[in-house]
Amino acid sequence: MSKELSRRELLKVLGAGSGLLLIHCGPVPPLPGTETDYDWEAHFWGYAIDTTKCIGCNACMRACRAENDVSEGVNRTWVERYRIDAHESVRVDIADKGDYVFEPVAGDVARAFFVPKICNHCEKSVCSQVCPVGASYMSKDGVVLVDHQRCIGCGYCVQACPYGTRYIDPRTHMADKCTLCYHRITRGLQPACVASCPTGARMFGDLKDPKSTLSTVLRQGRYRLLRPEMGTHPKCYYLGLDREVV
Amino acid sequence: MDFVFPNEVNVTWTVMIVLYPYITGLVAGAFIVSSLYHVFGVEALRPVARFSLASAFVFLLFATLPLLIHLGQPTRAFNIMVTPNFTSAMAGFGYIYSAYSLLVVLEIWFVMRSEFIARARRGGLVGLCCRAILLGNLFESDATRAADHRIARVLAGVGIPMACLLHGYVGFLFGSIKANPWWSTPLMFVIFIFSAIVSGIAVLIFHYFVVSWINGWKVDQPCVRSLGRYLWGFMIVAVALELLEIMSIAYKQTEEWEVLGQLIEQKLMITYVILQFLVFSLVPFLLLAISALFKLRDKLANAIIWTAATMLLFQVLLMRWNVVVGGQLLSKSMRGFTDYFPGLWEKEGLAVAAVIFTLPFGILWVFNRIVPLFPNAERRSA
Amino acid sequence: MSGQLEKNDFRHTYRLIAVLVLFVVGAAFARWWAVPETFGQFGRYRGAAVASARTETVPRYVGEETCADCHEDQVELHDKDAHARVPCETCHGPGKEHAEAEGEAPIARPEGKGACLVCHQRLAARPGSFPQIEWREHYKFVGVADESVECTRCHDPHEPLYMDRDLRTARLHPMIHRCRDCHQGREDESLERPENHPPIFECSYCHGPIVEDFAGRTHASVRCTSCHIFFREDESTGRIIRDADPRFCLLCHRAADFRSDDAPPGIEWPAHREEMGTFPEDADKRCIDCHRENIHASEVSQ
Repeated sequence: MSKELSRRELLKVLGAGSGLLLIHCGPVPPLPGTETDYDWEAHFWGYAIDTTKCIGCNACMRACRAENDVSEGVNRTWVERYRIDAHESVRVDIADKGDYVFEPVAGDVARAFFVPKICNHCEKSVCSQVCPVGASYMSKDGVVLVDHQRCIGCGYCVQACPYGTRYIDPRTHMADKCTLCYHRITRGLQPACVASCPTGARMFGDLKDPKSTLSTVLRQGRYRLLRPEMGTHPKCYYLGLDREVV
Repeated sequence: MDFVFPNEVNVTWTVMIVLYPYITGLVAGAFIVSSLYHVFGVEALRPVARFSLASAFVFLLFATLPLLIHLGQPTRAFNIMVTPNFTSAMAGFGYIYSAYSLLVVLEIWFVMRSEFIARARRGGLVGLCCRAILLGNLFESDATRAADHRIARVLAGVGIPMACLLHGYVGFLFGSIKANPWWSTPLMFVIFIFSAIVSGIAVLIFHYFVVSWINGWKVDQPCVRSLGRYLWGFMIVAVALELLEIMSIAYKQTEEWEVLGQLIEQKLMITYVILQFLVFSLVPFLLLAISALFKLRDKLANAIIWTAATMLLFQVLLMRWNVVVGGQLLSKSMRGFTDYFPGLWEKEGLAVAAVIFTLPFGILWVFNRIVPLFPNAERRSA
Repeated sequence: MSGQLEKNDFRHTYRLIAVLVLFVVGAAFARWWAVPETFGQFGRYRGAAVASARTETVPRYVGEETCADCHEDQVELHDKDAHARVPCETCHGPGKEHAEAEGEAPIARPEGKGACLVCHQRLAARPGSFPQIEWREHYKFVGVADESVECTRCHDPHEPLYMDRDLRTARLHPMIHRCRDCHQGREDESLERPENHPPIFECSYCHGPIVEDFAGRTHASVRCTSCHIFFREDESTGRIIRDADPRFCLLCHRAADFRSDDAPPGIEWPAHREEMGTFPEDADKRCIDCHRENIHASEVSQ
């Protein structure tokens, strides 16, 4: 640490001639800007959704918006309602207007269910892969985040995400997305959507901790992933997911 | 079939992103025409060799403008070169674009040095600018001309793969997005290169005729005929590749065809099937075939070639539209489609697009005032 | 084109080369200077961005413990009833401002049927085991004629199932074990779906004659558990409704303005007691002292 030259000093030392030093790397301090002890290398966060428990109340969506001040017209999480009739014809809708309340709809239904959606915080996140400026990245504890001081708002990540969970924020004109409530989980709290779910349909936990609820549930192996063929290795595990949902 | 993810209702990439590959395509195409003369010695193309190089240059100047207008944070555009994240296909853009721009500028410098010297000697403010461009060195001899020629040749040679890279790379940006079945194909790289060449030749023909007509010049008949034949050949490859891509998906009847078929049927019937293929590919193909295979009177042949070239300009624009916008109309839920059509006056709207597309022609006019691009043009006998 | 070019013939390019070198060096230098200090610290991103992600936003959902600091009684009640797992802020919204102002800042108090129907509106997509209603049907079923009556007239949102707070004298049936009696030390989630639990017993297993007797009475269509509400406080008492408090019977039999005509027979209370005049003013006589025959025999001879 003590041997680190400041940038200005280095400028003087190098003079004008040696501009070929392209990458500047300093020593690694611990995760800064924190009042609590939080070791981000000790965790790897994952998420699970038990679709059989979701009642479609959209409390998660309201909580996410209140907690994260999500702009109008875009969503970090939402709940899809699937209604499938006897001929396997699938109708899907969401309640993203007004109070975010699902209204009853007429029509024959052979089976119906809700599927909450959220950023999958993929282990091989394609959005971070395609970000041209390194503004989208995965933290060491497994959360895909956006650096709002670097994002140029090109929208490539929005195109690349197979799950449609990213958006260009209409107010900041930058890419934005679910942060898994990084400000909460690093303080030992649950993400707002999990903390507000009345039925426990949303689960959040540490994949590095074999005793966590999430690890316990996942060990049973009875889950599915969304679009696994994309090779993104999503970390949002779906329990009891209908075959129509991909 | 009507569900769209909530964040997909508004299309992210607008008409600006349609314009961007269109303009880079014109750059790459025009550059390759100039290289046909400078590297491969196609003498017939000599009359448009400079014109094509200058066209490549002026379009290059504006290739990034639609991108800047589209960026949410245009002031951070240089982040792409400051902290490129090389796992991203897009990260190389800044470097590839800069390197190619540098190459084109250098080639212009070497190819047109004599003209710049002549203009600099005439004095005035423009002359002073030319002097600055020449870095104050107005020395010229047969030996320097020969040296310039040799360097230009090397640059033009290096420029061909770079032009292909610049534009094929744009295709790759789309082709590598695995989340989007309408884009995700390795063919995209090749399709973009060939459609770029088509649009480049087409814009040269279109513009050459227009300029000649305005100035009362006689068009160089062998040159136009030759351009027409090249256009015909390249358009066959380009359209064949475009068809190959869609036919193989359609024939294989895989899962993705279920949605892509509906996308074409419900959203792209007019712009893709009818306009891009049936009207703006088939008609120019037939016209160019006639002009290439039959002995026509010059006037008729010229009319046919000009019409075909103009139509192909639209064909390539339509192709860019159908790729860029078409891909975004399809929801990643694979269960529905959204809609998009740009407004006339919005920031990323049609008016701005039209201005961006017109500006290069204006700059080219200025360019021509400084360094004549058609020094040997003959006046049409009245 | 002359075949032999000498070094001198390229002299006019020297300035150009110099400019190019300057440009490349300058660009490389500008780039190096523009790279943020912490870029590349942890990976190909700005290290300091992680700290911003932690601190830029402040949690607004404060959690039940914070609520319990002031509203211990409410939280305690809430934790005993069907809404036990519904977090406070799911209905009341984020509590940060309210908690920080020590209650001076308002907290949302959702009103109207909509507040309940957000979860309890019957929807085809809701899991079948989840209690959900078509509220007009429900009102008709329980005999509420006045549609302007709110859910909260009968259901306290904090204790929706037990309806009347004073009825908490009811006791847990000794044979019905609490989940944790068997499922000790397991995670909460394993207790969430009691309806999936293999059946333990039916009332008739032990109380066969009473169940049989009940089937012939006026209340036959009412389920045992509708009255014999199990409560978790104290399993020492054999009886489930200890005193058959009149308020309990009145949940169905109250002659209220919002009841429809097909509601169970309505009783004006306490006028009914006075009308009968069979017992002194201060004796809080139980309904079943007179109406035993409407329910079932409590002792059935074998």
